[in-house]
Amino acid sequence: MGNAERVREFVEAFRNLKAEVQKIIVGYDEVVTDVLVGLFAGGHILLEGVPGLGKTLLIKTLAEGLELSFSRIQFTPDLMPADIIGTNIILEDADGRRHFQFQRGPIFAHILLADEVNRATPKTQSALLEGMQEGTVTVSGASHRLPSPFFVLATQNPIEMEGTYPLPEAQLDRFLFKLRVTYPALEELNEIIDRTTQPGTAEVRRVMTGPEVLRFRELVREVPIAAHVRELASLIVMATHPTWEHTPEVTRRFVRYGSSPRGAQALVLGGKVRALADGRYNVSVEDLRAVAPSALRHRIILNFEGEAEGADVDTMIGQVLEQAEAQSRRGKEVFLR
Amino acid sequence: MTGPGVLERLLSQVRWQIRRRRAEFYGLRGIFYGVILALVPLVLKEVLGPPAPLMALGLLLLGGAAAAAFGFWLRLSPADVARVADRAFGLRDRVATALEWGRRPERSPLVELLVADAVARVQGLDGRRAVLRRRPPELRLLPLPVILLVILALAPPIPLPTGRLPTFSSAEEAEVPEEREGNVLSVERPNATRREPLQRAELTERAFSLQQGGTGASQPGDLSAVFKDTALAAQRPDFQSFLKKGDERLRMLEQVDRLPDLKRDFTQSPYKMVFQKRRELFGGLRPDQVSPQKLRELLEEMDRLGRKGGNWGYETGEGFDALEQGQTDRALEAMEKALSKMRALEERGRDGRALRGGREEDRRGSRSRDRGAGGDDIDADLGEGQGLLPGKGWNPNPKGDPTGRLRASPYDAGVEGESRTGRREGFDTNLVGKGASVPSRLQYLGVIGQYRKMMEEALAREQIPRDYQTQVKEYFESLEEK
Repeated sequence: MGNAERVREFVEAFRNLKAEVQKIIVGYDEVVTDVLVGLFAGGHILLEGVPGLGKTLLIKTLAEGLELSFSRIQFTPDLMPADIIGTNIILEDADGRRHFQFQRGPIFAHILLADEVNRATPKTQSALLEGMQEGTVTVSGASHRLPSPFFVLATQNPIEMEGTYPLPEAQLDRFLFKLRVTYPALEELNEIIDRTTQPGTAEVRRVMTGPEVLRFRELVREVPIAAHVRELASLIVMATHPTWEHTPEVTRRFVRYGSSPRGAQALVLGGKVRALADGRYNVSVEDLRAVAPSALRHRIILNFEGEAEGADVDTMIGQVLEQAEAQSRRGKEVFLR
Repeated sequence: MTGPGVLERLLSQVRWQIRRRRAEFYGLRGIFYGVILALVPLVLKEVLGPPAPLMALGLLLLGGAAAAAFGFWLRLSPADVARVADRAFGLRDRVATALEWGRRPERSPLVELLVADAVARVQGLDGRRAVLRRRPPELRLLPLPVILLVILALAPPIPLPTGRLPTFSSAEEAEVPEEREGNVLSVERPNATRREPLQRAELTERAFSLQQGGTGASQPGDLSAVFKDTALAAQRPDFQSFLKKGDERLRMLEQVDRLPDLKRDFTQSPYKMVFQKRRELFGGLRPDQVSPQKLRELLEEMDRLGRKGGNWGYETGEGFDALEQGQTDRALEAMEKALSKMRALEERGRDGRALRGGREEDRRGSRSRDRGAGGDDIDADLGEGQGLLPGKGWNPNPKGDPTGRLRASPYDAGVEGESRTGRREGFDTNLVGKGASVPSRLQYLGVIGQYRKMMEEALAREQIPRDYQTQVKEYFESLEEK
């Protein structure tokens, strides 16, 4: 298969999968796009939104559109790591001999829905760390490889904070994107009512297999990126750090810790997927602009003043982008030399 | 045309547009500064003559051309050109990425696709301009110097100042430099000797006019004398020592309480004189070794001083008696008592005398006259700090001096008031009137005098800055004027 066909196939697959999800999910075009970008970039997605907005439904629909195993874990305060990873159990064979056998937990699935992930204790939350980063889990000294592709989609509720355990920074950093699911618009709400209160439900076709997903992931990494675009990604990440010399005032004032290098990776990988999904063979500045809020909002840790003043991270990212682009153009504007 | 060739052609087109726009931009900027420079020869038209307008035009054109050339040849990298092209034609960084990755030896399959895609899109571009014209910010101000330039070009030449200062010296003085030609030393010395008598005569004249009671207003003759005073000019004061002296005086002024009363010569104070003689008398000797003769001389001196208004006559007399009886220690004791009275008198005078007004002095003087010459007032007999204020020490009149208040001048006016309720202090007993049914009356000047006296004592007792003392005294003087 030629490369042009591969790219065309990807564009088509991307479009088909999105269309299948949107058979069930009304609106949320950007959220669905970003979820698919995360899938093909090989990252994990954290969806944040108030209850009833269809986060879980979106993930379930996506899993239905893929020929992949799917498991859902409802995180609760009494959930234990073994409930996620699995545990060794004693089995007795026909000869009466007993031996330990690893009983796999629900994490051994291609698509894992960690519903209300912030309701479990940090100990349980951290059970996902190794699997999300390494693609393996270790139980009693034995490592077990997770199925590939392994795609974690977690949800959390931002308003019911009582009895929850906010995700630690290390855990947050392992999510490629953090997506905000907002209220639907009026027309979208009407559409939701029509679809969910009338007889008959739409059927989601399986449009992509696991190996196809892996192939597309490889293709995505081949997308070239120009030096100045790559530099812009680095500048964006640097501008989230309060100690950088060219950082904007808002960062200096409200941010305690900026993004890790994973943020830059997320920017570039997300940009590549978006470019390829757009039928382009290169990453543009616009791609970085599009993925920057999703890639950075959970990686910027506000300081006390930022929390007290209720600083909006998305607004801050907008200013960070402006500063980074100004810094990128500095000395390169054709008339200003 | 090959793929990269298409991209290169696009780049060269965009590069040319950028250079042209830069030349326009910097050329306009250069014209602005050229116009400003061109004003100079037009201002100097009188000096430069007919070529001035041509020079102005040349500067203007030169400024514009030089700046345009500078802008045109400014460095321009291909990557920047590619970015401009991408932005101008909405190519979303295709050209820049294709150029960068297309030059690499190892080209992934997607790079080939990228280059092909970029070429295809570039070929489909219309011939629109990639770079828009930009105007320098100075362009808004350009009309101003241009108008000025036109006005100066059309106007007649501006007369320029000659550059020489007007001469204020007389004809004789103007000739002096001519005399100094040649050997400077040999000429300057006779000049100095020649001016000296003239200077002395004028200074004498000035001093004489002042002695005659002149107002000090300057006269032409005086001024010329001052400015011709070469003796003053020859003096080179040490500026550092001048500053140092000034600093010392300022420091001294800050210590108000230590400022000397310049109206009085303390070196001539009787107490100080006697005290020094006493020190000479003792000269490290024990009391029994003191010479009776010298002690008698000292007592005589003190007695002489006491007759001029001192109150230590009794002590000096006691000292004489003791000396006649050969009791030197008793005579010394009497001398010490007399000396302490001298000191108390002088201290009292230094504290209050300079601050008291004439009216109070008059009153005090009249009072002492009433009491007679031989009536040494009791205050003088008291030691320092005792009995000087009403109600203190040995003062027999604890409620002040009511007679002084009541004995007001015929011009005094009564101030009516009402007897206030509540606890009454001693001063209420001094009120004039027949009781509560009649409004009490206080003599205005009497009350003022009482407060004035308290003010003077307070000023003498407390460490108050001189400026404040002056203000307080002026305030009381203004009250008396009413």
